[in-house]
Amino acid sequence: MRFKDQFKFVRQNMKKNKTRIFMTVLATAMGCAFLIVLASVGFGLQKSIVEEITQDRLMTEIQVHGKENEENAGITMDDITYFEGLDHVKAVTRRQMVDQQGEFRVGEFRAEGNAVVVDFPSETKAGFELSEGRLPEADNEVVIGHDFAESLAKWNGKETAPLNEDGTVKEEFKYKGKLIGETLNLGVKQYEGEEEKSKTFDVKIVGIGKKPTKDWEWDPNIYISEKVLSEIEAFTGTPNGTVITPNLPAEERDLMEQRKDRFYSQVSIYADDVENVKTISETIKDKKYFAYSVVDEMEQINTVFLIVKSGLIFIGTIAIIIASIGIYNTMTMAVTERAPDIGIMKAIGANPSTIKRIFLIESSYIGLLGAIFGTIVAYLITLGVNWLLPIILSNAFGEPIPGDFKFSHIPLSLPLICIGICLVVTILSGLRPARRATKVDVLKAMRREV
Amino acid sequence: MIEVKGLSHQFKIGKKGKETIIPVLEGINLKVDYGEIVTVVGRSGSGKSTLLNLISGYIQPTEGEIFIDDHNVTSFNESKWADFRLHNLGFIFQSFQLILSMTAFENVELALTLKGVHEKERKTQTEKLFKKVGLEKFMDHYPSELSGGQQQRVSIARALILNPPIILADEPTGSLDSDTEDELLDFIKQLNHEMGITFLIITHDEKVAKIGDRIIEIVDGALVEEEYAS
Repeated sequence: MRFKDQFKFVRQNMKKNKTRIFMTVLATAMGCAFLIVLASVGFGLQKSIVEEITQDRLMTEIQVHGKENEENAGITMDDITYFEGLDHVKAVTRRQMVDQQGEFRVGEFRAEGNAVVVDFPSETKAGFELSEGRLPEADNEVVIGHDFAESLAKWNGKETAPLNEDGTVKEEFKYKGKLIGETLNLGVKQYEGEEEKSKTFDVKIVGIGKKPTKDWEWDPNIYISEKVLSEIEAFTGTPNGTVITPNLPAEERDLMEQRKDRFYSQVSIYADDVENVKTISETIKDKKYFAYSVVDEMEQINTVFLIVKSGLIFIGTIAIIIASIGIYNTMTMAVTERAPDIGIMKAIGANPSTIKRIFLIESSYIGLLGAIFGTIVAYLITLGVNWLLPIILSNAFGEPIPGDFKFSHIPLSLPLICIGICLVVTILSGLRPARRATKVDVLKAMRREV
Repeated sequence: MIEVKGLSHQFKIGKKGKETIIPVLEGINLKVDYGEIVTVVGRSGSGKSTLLNLISGYIQPTEGEIFIDDHNVTSFNESKWADFRLHNLGFIFQSFQLILSMTAFENVELALTLKGVHEKERKTQTEKLFKKVGLEKFMDHYPSELSGGQQQRVSIARALILNPPIILADEPTGSLDSDTEDELLDFIKQLNHEMGITFLIITHDEKVAKIGDRIIEIVDGALVEEEYAS
């Protein structure tokens, strides 16, 4: 008997008991919806937490914070060279701050902030992005942070304070013009004995950094090249342009003056692929470096959520198993009711395996219908939960829930797992009735004695 | 074509361990040749239906062997019996044994469906056969909407649909009135003459018995008399 005909036969039989079949499909659909909704909470929370962690951070990034058991714990150029020589390393970015509060002037506007020294070639490889302009090509070119313009305030030499109470620049003092192409005067200072000396370095603004991904982040820094830093160091006579104040204890002053190496405060290694992050991270940890990557954190979070999701799917599976009792009952009733028909079919030459297959198709069909309807219902519930729950919680606790926070999330794998579990469970529950159907005695069935 | 050798059968009744054995058939030997109509007669409980059920493979003999077309069918398992029945035997039952939830057309088509014939071919063959049995106007009727005679014709159409060389009939006229009975017997004779189908018919009706080329009587489970029709 062809599969198409078996399926047609099954559909005909199911139409005879629409109410019973509907109730069985409903029970299965409820079981499936329960499984999916339950597990979707695990998936949703994991997704939201992971997104929160990975937001603004590259998965391929490994941050190196220093070295263990070394006299000199800072990261030096030798370390950078070692990192760059490792397999699967795409770029090694190193940032350091000019070790004093800089005074930046653009025409008659001025701001105070940090000058961050970056290696532009490696930053470009790592994916440093601009919102406007280009990256520096000459030594005296710089990139400014996205919010640098916001921090510039017109200075007229009078006592009138140009800032609001919250630290923002008053509207009438704000810089309104374009910054790209403008000359920025970078002022640094140093002491010679008791006397304060200052020097201004003129650099040209060629690019503006990309807006930080988080709303609360603020980037008023300027990004300068190592060449500019060298010039600053030549003036201050100290690495990183550190200021040696007259009141600094003599011991500390000696230490500072003896220090020759530059230390890189923010070192990040970028792997060529997420897959290789773990290997690189383990290699440098073996070499006693303090390294951290999001992947390390993700591994722990994913392990916890794997256990949580497995538990939720297990509980959901129990609901499907309970629904399968209904399928077993329905199929047993179907075999009993159709025993005369089964007897006639066997009498004229139906193979027992064909009869068994027909009943198994019927039970799996019920399971499949239940799984499909259950999945649709679960999607609707998920939409409802993600829309309604933030409103309820923010009203109840008075704290706003982040807009992109998902309490429930259904990845494609979840309905597929559910349909798989449902099919296995329903086939198993239909197996015994199907076997019973093959054992129907022809003569008893035709005499309506079964 | 059909050869029965030393066939015996016993029924066991009662609870397990306390069963009573009732012998039904004892040492039956029978041979039915190609194109013959053989009728088996006997009183109720004589064992004639049991003989037909054994030849149909619905029950297994306690002793003896049955050969159909040189196949020793007594060695067949259930699956092999099913295939053999589908391809070699047609069945006509006293109470028609039509599936009530299927139309007359679907009942006749069922054997073709079980054999795996394509839908289009099934439709052509089934419609052709309905014309042959004179029921082309009743194809879409359910069995409950047909008379006894019409139901038996549908049953015959189902038996004929796969062109079996042998048809086994158990009291085929048992549920029919006299006129319909005559019509059916004429149809059986016509099928035998035109298509050469072998019939083994179980009956207690003398009129039916007389259409046989040979009449066999079973008394108390033993074949006691064999009479050739004149």
